Amino acid sequence: MTFDADQREDLRRKFAEYAETRSPATRDHLVEAHLGLAEYLARRFSNRGEPLDDLVQVASVGLLKAVDRFDPERGVEFSTYATHTIVGELKRHFRDKGWAVRAPRRMQELYLRLGKIVSSLSQELGRSPTIPELASEAQVSEEEVLEALEAGQAYRFASLDAPSPGDDDGDSMSSHLGEEDAGMIDAEHRVALSPLLAQLPQREQTILHLRFFEGMTQSEIAGRLGISQMHVSRLLARSLAQLRDAAEST
Amino acid sequence: MAARDEVRLAVPATPEFLRLARVTASGIASRLGFTIDEVEDLRLAIDELCFVLVGNKDRDGSVELHYRIDRDQLDVEGVGRFDDDETDPMLTAFSRQILGALLDDYDVYRNHGGHSCFRLTKRRHTEPEP
Repeated sequence: MTFDADQREDLRRKFAEYAETRSPATRDHLVEAHLGLAEYLARRFSNRGEPLDDLVQVASVGLLKAVDRFDPERGVEFSTYATHTIVGELKRHFRDKGWAVRAPRRMQELYLRLGKIVSSLSQELGRSPTIPELASEAQVSEEEVLEALEAGQAYRFASLDAPSPGDDDGDSMSSHLGEEDAGMIDAEHRVALSPLLAQLPQREQTILHLRFFEGMTQSEIAGRLGISQMHVSRLLARSLAQLRDAAEST
Repeated sequence: MAARDEVRLAVPATPEFLRLARVTASGIASRLGFTIDEVEDLRLAIDELCFVLVGNKDRDGSVELHYRIDRDQLDVEGVGRFDDDETDPMLTAFSRQILGALLDDYDVYRNHGGHSCFRLTKRRHTEPEP
C-alpha cells in the first residue's frame, strides 16, 4: 500500500496528534487509512481454510492494536510496525486453534474421495487397503494420501459440555444404534475406567467400545455400523482428543 | 527399506509440533505396507503416548523420536527432554485399554538418563501384495 507525499505527511501529523490527544476521531481516521494493509495481510493467510472475512476481522484487531501502541518518536515507519503486529495477530488466531487448523479445500476433497475408495477397495481385496494401493487408485502420490488423512483429522475440539453437532458425511448411524446398545454390557467397567466416557454422544461411545473393548478393527466397525472406515477413524480420533482435553481440565 | 533402518526426529514439546511425530510415523508405516487400519491405529497411539509425555498444552523442552524399522515392524521411542521432569510418566487404566487395542507392545518409563519416555511396537499383520 502506498501513499503519496502529502498523504504521508498528513498521516505523520495525525499520529503525532493521536500520541498526544488519544482522540477517538483521530484514531478512527488512522485505522481507516490503513484498512487496506490489514486486508492485504489477511489475504496472505486466506489459503488456510479460514473465511477471508474472519481473517480481515482478526487483522483489523491487529491494526487497532498497532495504532494504539505505535510510537511516532521511535522513527519506525507505521506500516512496518503495523505489519508486524497484524501478522502476529493472524498467526495467533491460527495457533489458538491448535492443530485444528482447517485443511485446504483440495485436501478436504481428496479426503472425501478417499473415504469411498477405502470402502470399494476393502470389498475388492477382502482386507483393509494399504496407502500405496489407495494412492494408485486415487491417482495421487502416497504423500498426498497421508496429507489427506491428516486433513481429515484436523478435528475441531468441541467441548464435552456442548452436544456434538451432526457430522455424518451423509452416513446415518441412528438406525444402527438400537441394536448396539443392547450389546453394551461392561458399561460399568468402562465408566470406572473413564467417567468422562459417559459424556460422549452415544454413537461415539459405541465406536470406542467396539474398538477398544471388543477389539474390532476400524473397518469391521465401519461394516457393522454401515458407515465409512474413515468416518470411524475420525470419530475415534476426535473422541479421544476430547477425552484427553477433559481429563486435563479436571 | 533395509532391516534396522532408523529415522530420528526432535521437536519442541508442543501439540503443534508433535503432529510431526504422527505424520512421520504414518509416512514410515505406509512405506512398510501397513494397511490403512494399521496406519490409523498407529496415529491414534502416537497421539495418546505423546499426550502422556507432554499433555495438551506446551511443555518447556523437546521430544526426541526414534523410529526403528525392521521389515514388518515399526518401533517408536519417544524421549522427553523437559526443563522440568519431576513426575514419572503415568498411564491411566483407560489409556492402557486403548493402547493395548492399538499396538502390539508399549511402555512408558524413565530411562537411565532420567528422561520420561515411551516406546511402542506396531507390526504389519497382512502380507504385502507380491
